[in-house]
Amino acid sequence: MSDTSTVNTESTFKEQQKMAISARNINVVYATPTGDIPAVRNVDIDLPRGSITGIIGESGSGKSTLIMAIMNAVTKPGKITSGSVLLNGENDMLQLSSEKQRKIRGKEIGFVFQAAQNSLNPLRRIGQQILDLGRAHEVHDLRALIKYAKELLIRLGLDADRVLASFQHELSGGMRQRVGIMFSLVLNANIVFLDESTTALDMLSQASVLEIIRELQKEKNLTIAFVSHDIGVIADLSERIEIFYAGEIVEEGKTSEVLASPKHPYTKGLIKAIPKISGDIDAAEPLKGSSPDYRTFKQEGCLFYDRCPIRTDSCRDSRPELNITSGYHKVACFRVDAND
Amino acid sequence: MIEIKNLQKFFQIKAKFSNHKTVHAVRNVNLTISSGGALCLIGESGCGKTTIGRMLCGMERPSSGSIIIDGQDISRLKRGARAKLLQKIQLIHQDPYQALNPTHTIEQMMKATLKKVAKQKKKDVDWIRQRMDELLKLVGLDPETILFKYPHMLSGGQRQRVIIARALTVEPEMLIADEVVSMIDVSLRLGILKLLRYLRERHNISILFITHDIASARYLGNDTELYVVYKGMVIERGRTERVIRRPQHPYTQALLSAMPILKGIEKPGKDRFVITSQFKQSEEETRGCLFADRCPFKQSICDEKQPELIHNDDAYHACFFPKVRQVAAESI
Repeated sequence: MSDTSTVNTESTFKEQQKMAISARNINVVYATPTGDIPAVRNVDIDLPRGSITGIIGESGSGKSTLIMAIMNAVTKPGKITSGSVLLNGENDMLQLSSEKQRKIRGKEIGFVFQAAQNSLNPLRRIGQQILDLGRAHEVHDLRALIKYAKELLIRLGLDADRVLASFQHELSGGMRQRVGIMFSLVLNANIVFLDESTTALDMLSQASVLEIIRELQKEKNLTIAFVSHDIGVIADLSERIEIFYAGEIVEEGKTSEVLASPKHPYTKGLIKAIPKISGDIDAAEPLKGSSPDYRTFKQEGCLFYDRCPIRTDSCRDSRPELNITSGYHKVACFRVDAND
Repeated sequence: MIEIKNLQKFFQIKAKFSNHKTVHAVRNVNLTISSGGALCLIGESGCGKTTIGRMLCGMERPSSGSIIIDGQDISRLKRGARAKLLQKIQLIHQDPYQALNPTHTIEQMMKATLKKVAKQKKKDVDWIRQRMDELLKLVGLDPETILFKYPHMLSGGQRQRVIIARALTVEPEMLIADEVVSMIDVSLRLGILKLLRYLRERHNISILFITHDIASARYLGNDTELYVVYKGMVIERGRTERVIRRPQHPYTQALLSAMPILKGIEKPGKDRFVITSQFKQSEEETRGCLFADRCPFKQSICDEKQPELIHNDDAYHACFFPKVRQVAAESI
C-alpha cells in the first residue's frame, strides 16, 4: 500500500509541473451575521499549460470567488480558510508575500473583469493607464510597452491610436472588453483569467472576441480559464470544462465528452435548457428551481438535491464526492448510473 | 392586428463642437402582426430594432409612416383615444433590475395597476386580490411566497416574470419583448421563452420579440416570422426555421455563424464565416448597400446602389448576390 501511495505522489508531482496552475483543497467562506457561508468548498482545479478551461456556473454559484481565490485576491468579508495554489509547479500563491503576489498578478497572471468599464480608470486615458501599469511593474522601456500595446490593439481589431487617446466612456462595450484583454496580455502574462468576458456583448462582437482569444491563445500558448454562465460560449471555446454548482465542482472533463454524455443531472439540465439552433424545439426543457442562494450553500447533503429530478433520500443526508467515471471525466453524483 | 407602413425615424444628434448629425435609425420598415401572431426582430445593438418597438408602443414618434392598430392610425387619434388604444400594447424591458421600483413590494406594485383596471371595470377589492393571484400563477410564480417580497429578493428570472405579470394586468393584445432574456442566466432563459409561447398559444397574445439571439427566436413557435434588421433596414425576412436553414443575405449568415457551437453535440455548418470588423454607428450615408463595408462577398455594384427587399423563394432579402449558405450549426 505504502509503495503505491509514494508512486502516486511522485506522479502527481510530475503532473503539477505541466500545470500552469494547480489548486488543491480551496475553501473560501463569507462571514455574515448569521454565520459563515462556504462559497467555495474543497475545490481542486488544474489548468494544464497551453489549454483553455471553461468554468460554468449560475450567478451566485461562487465561480468568480474561485478565480479570486486562485489569485489570492478574495476581499472581505470573504476569507480563504485553506488550500494551496501552485503556480507552474512551484510558488504557492497563498503563501507568498503580498508584494510578490502583486508582481505575479499582471506579469504572470492576467485578469479580465466581468464589467470591463469598472476596471478602467474613468479619469485617465487608456494610454496613461498602460504607463501606470508599466511603472507599477517596474518596466524600464515604457516606449516598447506602448508599442506592444498598440500591436495587441491592432490584433484585437481596434484603431490603436484612437483607443490609447480615449477615456473609457468613449469606447463601446465590445471595445472595452478588448481593451481589458489587451491589459491582461501587455505584460506578457501567460495565464489569463476571463470572467464573463463576453456576457454583455451581442452575437457578432462575442463571436469575434472569441475568435481573437482563440488565435492569441494558439500563438502565445496561453493558459486560459474562461468563466461564464453561458454554456454555449464555453462549449465553443474551451477544451476542458468544469461545471460549478453552489461552490463545488460537480462534473469535469473534456468538453466534447461532457457535452456528448453528461453524467450529472445538473449538467444534463443545463444542456437541455440552452436554446439551440437545430433540433426539435419541444425537446428543450427549462431547468427547474432557482439558482443557488445562501441556503443552498449551507445544505447538508447533495447541493443539487432541491432541483434534482433523480434524487433519492440518501442524497439529502450525505454529499457525493467527485469520482472518476472514465478517463478524465469526473462526476459528483450518487446516481451516475441511473437511467431516466 | 397591427400594421406598420413605411415607418421611418431620424434622430438629430446635437454635438457640441461639431455639426449636428442626423442618424437614420429606421428605414422604410413594413410589417404586419396578426392577432395571436409572433414576429421577431433580430440584429446587433444599435441597429434600430428597439426604436421600432418603442415607436409601436407610443414611446417614440415616427418621423414618417404609419402605425395602424385594429384599423386605426395612431398618429391621427386624439391623445386620450390614442392612450387607450396603446394600452393594448405592453412593453417588457431588457433590464429586469431597473424596471421595478425597489421600494415597493410585489403586492404594492401589482395592486397599483390593478386598482386602475378595477376602477375602469367597476370591480371590487376581492376581484383585485383574485386577479393578482391568477396573474402571478399564470406566469409561474407562487403568490404566497412572492407577494411580500421586494424586487432585490428575487432572481433575474423571477423579476422578469413579475414584469410580465404586471404587463398582463391591463389585458394587452400584444407584448413587445425587448431583449427580455439577455440579462438572465442561460439556464433560466428557456423558462421565460416558454412562458411567452404559452401566453401566445393559450391566451392569444401576439408577441413582438426583439433579440440578437436567433436561437431564442425559434422557441416562440413554428409560425414565427423573422425580420433581420441592419442599420434600420429589414434586409431579410421569412419564417424563422426557413431563414435559419436557408439564409440568403450575408448579414443573416454572419449572425448565424456567430452562434457558439456546442462541441460534442453540434458541428459547424460547412460555409461558416466570422466577421471581425466592428459595426460603425455614425458614418456618412452611403449610396450603396448598407452592409457593403463589412460584407466578405462584396462586389463593385454594392458600393453604388442600394438593393431593395425582394421576394425570392418564399422569403424576402435585400442583396444583389443572394446565395444560400449552410452556416447554422447542425446537431451530430
